[in-house]
Amino acid sequence: MTHPILAAENLSVGYGDTTIVKDVSLSVKPGAITALVGPNGCGKSTLLKAFARILPPMSGQVTLGDKPIRSYATRAVAREMALLPQGPVAPEGLTVTELVAQGRFPHQSLFRQWSPGDREAVERAIALTDLQDFADRPVQAMSGGQRQRCWLAMVLAQDTPLLLLDEPTTFLDLKVQVDLMALLSRIVAEDGRTMLLVLHELNLAAAFADHVVMMRDGRIVAEGTGPDVIRPDELRQVFDLRADVIADPLTGRPVCLPRGPDKVPLKAAAE
Amino acid sequence: MTATRSILTAGGFWLCIGAVALAFMWHISVGAKAIPLATVWEALVSPEDGVFDHVVVRDLRMPRAIFALSVGAALAVAGALMQGVTRNPLAEPAILGLMAGATFAVILGIGWFELAGTAYVPLFAAVGALIGAVLTWTIAGAAPGGATPLTLILSGAAVSGFLYAIEQAAILLNEEAFRNFRVWLSGSLAGRDMDTYLWALPWFAAGLIAAMVIARQVTALAMGEETAAGLGVDTVRIKLIALIAVVALTAAAVSVAGPLGFVGLVIPHVVRLFVGSDYRLIVPFSAVVGAGYVLVVDIVSRVVLAPLEISTGIVTTMLGAPVFIWLVRAKL
Amino acid sequence: MSTVEAFSGRVALQLPMRAVAMAFGLSAAIVVVLVWSLMTGSFELSSREVFATLFGNPPTDMATTIVWEFRFPRTLTAILVGAFLALSGAALQYVTRNPLADPSLVGVSQGAALVVVAVTILAPGYGFAWRPVLAFGGSLIVAALILWIASSRRGGETLRFILTGIGVAALISSFTQALLTYGDIDRALTALGWLAGSVHAAGWPEVTWLAVTALIAIPLLLAASRPLSAIRFGEEMATSLGIRVTAARWLLVGLAVGLAAVAVAAVGPLGFVGLVAPHLARRLAHSGVGLHLILTALTGALMVGLADFAGRALFAPVQIPAGIFTAIIGVPVFVALILRSQARSQL
Repeated sequence: MTHPILAAENLSVGYGDTTIVKDVSLSVKPGAITALVGPNGCGKSTLLKAFARILPPMSGQVTLGDKPIRSYATRAVAREMALLPQGPVAPEGLTVTELVAQGRFPHQSLFRQWSPGDREAVERAIALTDLQDFADRPVQAMSGGQRQRCWLAMVLAQDTPLLLLDEPTTFLDLKVQVDLMALLSRIVAEDGRTMLLVLHELNLAAAFADHVVMMRDGRIVAEGTGPDVIRPDELRQVFDLRADVIADPLTGRPVCLPRGPDKVPLKAAAE
Repeated sequence: MTATRSILTAGGFWLCIGAVALAFMWHISVGAKAIPLATVWEALVSPEDGVFDHVVVRDLRMPRAIFALSVGAALAVAGALMQGVTRNPLAEPAILGLMAGATFAVILGIGWFELAGTAYVPLFAAVGALIGAVLTWTIAGAAPGGATPLTLILSGAAVSGFLYAIEQAAILLNEEAFRNFRVWLSGSLAGRDMDTYLWALPWFAAGLIAAMVIARQVTALAMGEETAAGLGVDTVRIKLIALIAVVALTAAAVSVAGPLGFVGLVIPHVVRLFVGSDYRLIVPFSAVVGAGYVLVVDIVSRVVLAPLEISTGIVTTMLGAPVFIWLVRAKL
Repeated sequence: MSTVEAFSGRVALQLPMRAVAMAFGLSAAIVVVLVWSLMTGSFELSSREVFATLFGNPPTDMATTIVWEFRFPRTLTAILVGAFLALSGAALQYVTRNPLADPSLVGVSQGAALVVVAVTILAPGYGFAWRPVLAFGGSLIVAALILWIASSRRGGETLRFILTGIGVAALISSFTQALLTYGDIDRALTALGWLAGSVHAAGWPEVTWLAVTALIAIPLLLAASRPLSAIRFGEEMATSLGIRVTAARWLLVGLAVGLAAVAVAAVGPLGFVGLVAPHLARRLAHSGVGLHLILTALTGALMVGLADFAGRALFAPVQIPAGIFTAIIGVPVFVALILRSQARSQL
């Protein structure tokens, strides 16, 4: 896929009078997974919403390719970039296929509502997310992890080079979180898409993201590959967290080990 | 409670009583022919049969003022009890279907059994109010999440809407019987007869006394059912007594004045602003302030468009609905 | 499900067969109710006489008068009003993502009613033709008011919206009631029948307004069915799919309010049709938004057509306003919706 580059230039965003994201510049790395991490309220979701043009910038701008994103028609942007918001709710009675088909919206018109191209994209998205067996089930009857895959399939069917996902793993079991992240990496590797995700779980970011952006108080504190960024000093500075970081013996990726005030050996805890 | 606080409270209470007495006399003085307050006072304290104004005051105007007073006190106390026991800031007889049930039963009694002005009117109203309450709680209780303030209000609206539609049909089918009840249906104190009031009186009294008796336990219930049980309150018994009191008060009020909406919602909230969360204070203050409120509303409804008068229930709704909207925004 | 393609792929639509069949079935039922309504009344006509009268070959002058002057406009009004209120309810439900939204439940109908009663009583003889426009103004103000009150706080808006609406509806009705007290009693009585949602007095002028509105609003609404289907997923998702959400939302609310207002101007605030019809239509057949809107309109039309017919025939010679029947049918559906487990996420 071709890649217009999504970037923020001196961007400030907020709600009402409060500025949440302050003067951020960031260029989303093409063909890779970029994870936005940081403590609650650091502005990572707000930044994502600004990228997705849900929130208008207070100053600065978001650019797509070499033009400001506001200069495109909404629908043109929707063919380049898809967003999976946090905790979406499916309308009553919708089946999985119908939900996924909704992703074709920006490629359709009033008189051209269902073309062979649409069908192909939907089938592919369903296959990628491994939902073939559930295609005609109502979305509401699915488990949390399956439902999140349905939404992901919908966003994939939108067939955009850029995908923005807001905390896609929240409220899921650990295994489901890992499966979903593995699926995202596979899609990036196979389709060459670009993903920007907000992640709450630091170790998921460390394990799956190619590029990690750490934020605190609306500003970017550190940016780079996992091992460059996920280090004890950064963790203390950004999360106020005392932690050691070791390398995963299998992948070499960083793993963060939080420490309490006292390092309690296992035997002492058992007594 | 400290000594200063209780002196202040007692002082406030007598101040309210004084204000209600004033409103009572003002209510009587207003009318087609204005009667000076001094004359009203004379007529009440030392009536003389020969004086025309005294006769007007005692025989024509005073009954209506008494109706207003009683209905206001009853509805405000009913609302206070419901809010306390259910811990629902939006509870009151009209919103939760009791008033619609009572109104419906009265319509049925009058239209089909020709019971106007008899002892059966409050009885019918009570049965109706009880059925309305049971329906509302049953529907809300069966909803996912149980009887929350939100589901209660929605099911109250459903019950009221349904009964209202049937009422309308009943009235159309038997127009003769209801010629004089159109006004009553919108909640009015105009032209009500003393007989009905006298039959409703025991219901008023029983409801108010019961409310006072359980006020202490309601304070505990308002803090949560488990807290109350922990404090040794028999929650089931208190809830049952509260239900009976609310039904009696609603029935008495509806028999006399028809449905007056939102009185039971507004007054307890106002009272709580001043006296806090102790129902031993909220109940008597609600009774007094509610009485004064309906007296004043009834004055307003007669004065604004004089010589025409607006039904009192219409005015209580105009004043109460904004409070409801505000509560939805602030408390839910 | 079958796919229709034409004009070398320029037109490509998906047609669920069951829904299409349902649409034809509902249309046929409406025609049956229409003919039946034309036959029934204090002066009975056979179906042959009705058709003869409609196609310009009346058996008697009496038949012409009865069919053309009274029964036909009245029944057409009932059918159109039903379709309007149903569409209005469906659009409100989609836009607010609230299964309980209904023009009469949230005060939009009452806003229209207040303005119409005010004009009838305060400025009699003036403004009959302006009624729909005035009603539109009244309900637009109410809609804006409720949306403003309900949206100025974040989170849990669905129910707050309905409760705010219930409060606003009560407030506005109290003003209407006060006006009725104030007004001349005869005029007030006319208004009173109208307030119960009666099709009784409807004639050709009402049919004309309704038809004109239908020609403008219904195609617009159907054209808007695509943005509508995206808006059901919430503001963020809809933006991401390429919808200009704010503009689309106001257009749709405007259409919903306009349809309700014109319907109310013709026959008074007829309750619960907008609540019930969209849910019934969804039960009848599973379909996309566009077809669902069509099914909803047909269901609403059938409901009010039947309600008017029942109100006229069941207790003859007493006429029960159609609004009473729609409320009696509507409330149990309302209760069922409160009880539905699906509501958990929304309540």
